[in-house]
Amino acid sequence: MFHWLEKNPFLFSVGVFLVIAFAGLVEILPNFAEASRPVVGLKPYTVLELAGKEVYKKDHCIACHSQLIRPFKAETDRYGQYSLSGEYAYDRPFLWGSKRTGPDLHRVGNYRTTDWHENHMWDPKSVVPQSIMPAYQHMFTNIADIDTAYAEALTVKTVFDTPYDTPNGVKLGTLDEAKAAALEEAKAIAADMKNQDVKDAVANGQIPEIVAIIAYLNRLK
Amino acid sequence: MDIRELQGYASFFMTIFLVVILYGYIIHLYRSEKKGERDYEKYGNMALDDEIDSAPIEQNPKTQREKTEGNK
Amino acid sequence: MQSNAALEYDYSVAKLFTYTTILFGFLGMLIGTLIASQLAFPELNYLLGEYGTFSRLRPMHTNIVIFGFTLSGIWATFYYVGQRTLKVSMAESKFLMFIGKLHFWLYFFGALVAVVTLLMGISASKEYAEFEWPVDVVIVLVWVLWGISIFGLIGIRREKSLYISLWYYIACFLGIAMLYLFNNMEVPTYFVSGGIGSIFHSVSMYSGTNDALVQWWYGHNAVAFGFTVPIVAMIYYYLPKESGQAVYSYKLSLLSFWGLMFVYLWAGSHHVLWSTVPDWMQTMGSIFSVVLILPSWGSAINMLLTMKGEWNQLTENPLIKFMVLASTFYMLSTLEGPIQAVKSVNAIAHFTDWIPGHVHDGVLGWVVFMIMAALFHMAPRMFKREIYSKKLMEAQFWLQTTAVVLYFTSMWIAGITQGMMWRAVDEYGNLMYSFIDTVAVLHPYYTIRTLAGVLYLVGFLMFAFNMVKTMTASRKLEEEPQFRSPMAA
Repeated sequence: MFHWLEKNPFLFSVGVFLVIAFAGLVEILPNFAEASRPVVGLKPYTVLELAGKEVYKKDHCIACHSQLIRPFKAETDRYGQYSLSGEYAYDRPFLWGSKRTGPDLHRVGNYRTTDWHENHMWDPKSVVPQSIMPAYQHMFTNIADIDTAYAEALTVKTVFDTPYDTPNGVKLGTLDEAKAAALEEAKAIAADMKNQDVKDAVANGQIPEIVAIIAYLNRLK
Repeated sequence: MDIRELQGYASFFMTIFLVVILYGYIIHLYRSEKKGERDYEKYGNMALDDEIDSAPIEQNPKTQREKTEGNK
Repeated sequence: MQSNAALEYDYSVAKLFTYTTILFGFLGMLIGTLIASQLAFPELNYLLGEYGTFSRLRPMHTNIVIFGFTLSGIWATFYYVGQRTLKVSMAESKFLMFIGKLHFWLYFFGALVAVVTLLMGISASKEYAEFEWPVDVVIVLVWVLWGISIFGLIGIRREKSLYISLWYYIACFLGIAMLYLFNNMEVPTYFVSGGIGSIFHSVSMYSGTNDALVQWWYGHNAVAFGFTVPIVAMIYYYLPKESGQAVYSYKLSLLSFWGLMFVYLWAGSHHVLWSTVPDWMQTMGSIFSVVLILPSWGSAINMLLTMKGEWNQLTENPLIKFMVLASTFYMLSTLEGPIQAVKSVNAIAHFTDWIPGHVHDGVLGWVVFMIMAALFHMAPRMFKREIYSKKLMEAQFWLQTTAVVLYFTSMWIAGITQGMMWRAVDEYGNLMYSFIDTVAVLHPYYTIRTLAGVLYLVGFLMFAFNMVKTMTASRKLEEEPQFRSPMAA
């Protein structure tokens, strides 16, 4: 009865595949029928925020920071309201992380400000003396990739119907419009910063990575 | 029946089904050895006696044909 | 049989992969030791400017160890074990020889591209699936080539039945293929947007919680099919062969195989306990994680019983030591994993250093030990020389064993300490510690771990030295050893 499994490599492989695919089929597939629904009022990321998310990915912040507040009192006391599935609806990829060498960041926008982030990224020990986080001074000189961020927004709009360009929503428009809008946003952030190089760059129409990532971090609420 | 319910039933019955198969396999292994139909433990020697010219535990009919042809 | 008299197994592909196993092993562990030191001594973050921070190097470490060292080791052993258990030589088929070589060189090319892109920060930021889509395409091609090799060899085999090790290699092939493909489904933004921005960039097909679910289905099972299944394949061949003892119970090995296949995939959701993933799925993950102890221990106990009546070999042959310790660590980490998957334990353990601790007693103690033992066993057969030094091997064994113990004990304490401090409240119900308090307290444990990393790395260098000497300078062998690998004192 089982002999064919042990002797025929092809049937054996099919058997193994069925057994291992089964869990995935049952566990995961049904969730896709029921696509992740955004919580009420959730807006897609602006182009500048997406560029900031790219910096977050590029420097791999998830190596040390989570974005997932679990439903325990100790966590909600420390970080705020526990995370809801619908809050992640526009996160591609998800950035929950799996290790908290540093604190959770899912609602960091509620309790940290632009100037705090600026000081912290330049020299973490200046704001948290015992911090073991490295400084990210290269973010102050590297220029954020707005083009790619726009391409990402356009892609999720086209392929996944992410609601850009809706009434009262986030406007995307053409590449030039989006760049102009990102620069406006960047100017507002740079106004709260003290680093002269960053201010000069933004005045010249360039957006350093630090501005983009602060835009992203401020949005995490 | 919504998709969640379907998922629940599917996982339950498939699990039962696979568990039955797995136990069936255990019984099959021991019974066929007891009846003397097959000796599973001899396959363990495949790792020990693995020179290229040592005799296979079970000759693959396809290559056996080639070999006899080669000997002519 | 005249025509077959001169026929020999052809190890040229196995040798190539052996070299990369050593190379990537050294690189991966070097970076690992560096980032471990960075946590203890943060000044070390600034050695390489932008490219030297902990966060940029961490994916390098994981990916080089997984896709560099372990995959190379799997393939080095496959191109050895595959031929021998099927009793067919690669030299018999020009086509398979070509595929094997292409497999290696395409892999090596892909690995170089992967290292450069990660260093530049081109990353999809999904753990163990960081590579962006062009690298993914190369990996898929490499995987297809391996598939052709496996089934090509099987197609021309003399031995009709497939030895249990091959079952595991096939499962590794199928499992990783499925997992990798589905988890890396992504849309390149360059093409959809009509040529705007970076060509490397892509967005995940799945969003938020769905993405998390797929990612940990992948993350957990990539460990299953990359760090467990192929390593079990190795031990089922190398331990019996080195000791001259057939597997204790072949039937048990077949049962454990199907048990492992069936149960492992269910356990993935234990990585997302207490998250926004549906509750029943989390519970399912917990339960199956505990059930998973059975097939895992089935294999491990089978291995230990294989040594029944031959335990004297443990003192005489350091290679047996490596393999027996590897299966012991396998038992330890397959017991530890399910404990961490219990929801109440997970509430404390998740996000802490206990998790890297668990990963490393599995990888350092089980995966690396087994791969090193396999390479040591193959060396006299592939290079036709005896192993260069038994003493060095003994010293390496004790050094690395000490390192693993230091590593996981320090991380256990660090993890549980931090997990408890995060939730500690005073008599009024207020949190007792600010976050940074829970970081500062870890300094001594991070220092111990750094020490463990240095010891392990030194051990690996001893291994590499021993291997290189075996390949080049050791005494030549007249004929192939049958069981125990010959080694100079």
